[in-house]
Amino acid sequence: MVRTRRLWTGLFLSLPLTIYIVIVVAPLLVSFYYSLTDWNGFNPEYSFVGAENFLKIGRDPQFFGAIRNTVVWMVAAIFLPSLGGLAIALALNGRGFAGNIYKSLFFLPICLSLVVIGQVWIWMYHPDWGLVNTVLSGLGLDGLRQAWLANPQTALWSVIIAWSWQQMGLAMVIFLAGLTSVPKELTEAAEIDGANYWQSLRRVVIPLLGPATVVVIALAIINSLKSFDIVYVMTQGGPFHSSDTLAMFMYNESFKKYYMGYGSAIAVVLFLISLVLISFYFRQVRIMNEVYD
Amino acid sequence: MKQLVWRLGAIMLLVALALGGCTAPVAPAASTGGADAPAAGGEPTKLSVIHYFSDTLGKEAMTKILDGFAAANPGITPVDNSAGHEDFKTQILVTLAGNNPPDLFSYWAGARTQFVVDGGRLAPIDQMWADNKLDEIIPAGIASGASTYSGAKYLIPLGYHYAGMFYNPKVMAEAGITEMPTTWEELIAAADTLKAAGIAPFALGSKNRWPAQFWFDYLLLRTAGPEYRAKLMAGEAAYTDPEVVAVMEKWKELVDAGYFVADANAYDWTDAADQVANGKAAMTLMGTWITGYWNGNELQPGADYDFFPFPAMQDGVPNVALGPVDGFVMTAASAHKPESEKLLMYLLDPAVQAAWAQAQGALAPSMKVDASIYNEVMKKASDQVAGAEGFAFNYDLATTPPMAEGGLNMFAQFMNDPSKYSDYLAETENVAKEVFKK
Repeated sequence: MVRTRRLWTGLFLSLPLTIYIVIVVAPLLVSFYYSLTDWNGFNPEYSFVGAENFLKIGRDPQFFGAIRNTVVWMVAAIFLPSLGGLAIALALNGRGFAGNIYKSLFFLPICLSLVVIGQVWIWMYHPDWGLVNTVLSGLGLDGLRQAWLANPQTALWSVIIAWSWQQMGLAMVIFLAGLTSVPKELTEAAEIDGANYWQSLRRVVIPLLGPATVVVIALAIINSLKSFDIVYVMTQGGPFHSSDTLAMFMYNESFKKYYMGYGSAIAVVLFLISLVLISFYFRQVRIMNEVYD
Repeated sequence: MKQLVWRLGAIMLLVALALGGCTAPVAPAASTGGADAPAAGGEPTKLSVIHYFSDTLGKEAMTKILDGFAAANPGITPVDNSAGHEDFKTQILVTLAGNNPPDLFSYWAGARTQFVVDGGRLAPIDQMWADNKLDEIIPAGIASGASTYSGAKYLIPLGYHYAGMFYNPKVMAEAGITEMPTTWEELIAAADTLKAAGIAPFALGSKNRWPAQFWFDYLLLRTAGPEYRAKLMAGEAAYTDPEVVAVMEKWKELVDAGYFVADANAYDWTDAADQVANGKAAMTLMGTWITGYWNGNELQPGADYDFFPFPAMQDGVPNVALGPVDGFVMTAASAHKPESEKLLMYLLDPAVQAAWAQAQGALAPSMKVDASIYNEVMKKASDQVAGAEGFAFNYDLATTPPMAEGGLNMFAQFMNDPSKYSDYLAETENVAKEVFKK
């Protein structure tokens, strides 16, 4: 009985597993291999350079710039979309028809590709006629007008905000789902005990949103690590690397400078960082499941 | 732990199987291309062509050429694919390194073509060159500079461009400038006049970085000269040399004087072209493709736009013209070489070259093309190149791609904050040391 079950499981798993191995595991191992070479991604010949690429990472200031930007991005990703999404979810929860319309509006950006989002925000940030600068002028804040994406001080944050605007919809939906699982009895009981809205929110609702919060934050962290498409569209990591994320940096080294070996080494480092963060996530999910089971 | 080992083992095994399994069907596939090469069976031969003329103007003109070729050669059907310049630069290399490269593709003459030749991915066309006496069609300067790599001929030039100081004649006239500057001092004087009249002398849209390179190129060519520049491009001179420092100093004077439109890095080259067209700025240092853009916006050559060559700066430095050459190359893996050569030869047809030049705002490399096809501005550009003492490729085509990345980055950095140029030069020299293994 157990044996046939195993056989079937194996059989059903073999197809997806094969696909997974061909398009995920094999390229992964191949990039491990290339990270030890000086391949330019193009010539048939290359030679082994041992750990040289990894040593180069250690002394490359651009790599540390990209790490710093990725960390900034990650921290922003943890707070901006989740707090925004939570606020919207709380405001719109149980508001009936009108609430649903607003929910759909806030969720719509998720249906758009990041390339489209990036392009829309490029227009909003346009130095001459963009929405942001126009509004600033309208408020009499001409001094704050900027070439948002061309100024190395503002480029990274400008991209992060555009990205967070989209991610907020996703966080909202997850929090809304979490809110439906908060038992009415508990909030009513808190109300009878004399708790005001904030107290019941802080002591009852938010603790019960724990699992939803873990999902939102984990998704934010993972998405921030692979942040590439919107950076590619909006700044290409520029001006001069000020908005480089690890993924963007890897791309530029591999495909613009044709240092495929070095790019692969960066990919390996990015993979290891992701591995650590994801294992934390799975541990957290397991603990959560144990608590709630 | 034991489970993990077991799992890893299983994965490794499957990877080995998958990789081993993959190689078997790939090998024979590579040789099948030859079977359908001749159009003997009546089936037309499909020629796959990849190019970077993906904008409306370029695509239309390229489609016309390929249709014309198909009509003249019933046995051959060219099938084309295009991508924008920036995407093309990465895509083409991935395609070439893969199992299904095209027969022909468009490419920029210079260091980028050399890079592909070094990778052994291109087929030489010396035989075709000799058979068709191409030395009588393609001027010697272009033949040696743009077509020849590592001693063999590879590239057929379709069009080329000249970089000059394009300006709005009405704006210049209103500011009282009727004689265009021919020396550095006159250029500065004109800039001062314009600035006093409330017009930004120079527009520059360096968002994609490359538009800034023409400033560096011309300043270097006009002060240190073409020989020194060639050395710098080849990694035989340093970015910290006094010659390069002098260039950055001169450039910095212009920025510090407020001659450039603010926030250059926020704009595209087309934004800069618009700023000149609508009178916000007077001039922009750009290639002749800007005329194609302006013509598309209904501007009249001569009346609405014109150009003058970048002024001389130092006695005894040869007058060299600057610009890119667009051409087509044939891949080593092409299974249809005779047909591909036919298409390459078709690209040299005087009528094709003329039509292309007119559609793109480009200059025709073929000596068989009559100068009467040009409008007055392009005629002047053609004369400039003919009268110049040499032709140099712009920076990102003159030096190897990884170096160009570092240099273009420096130009954008410089436009943002020129005061720290010596830091940027030191950083760029570090890149050069790595790239050229100094």
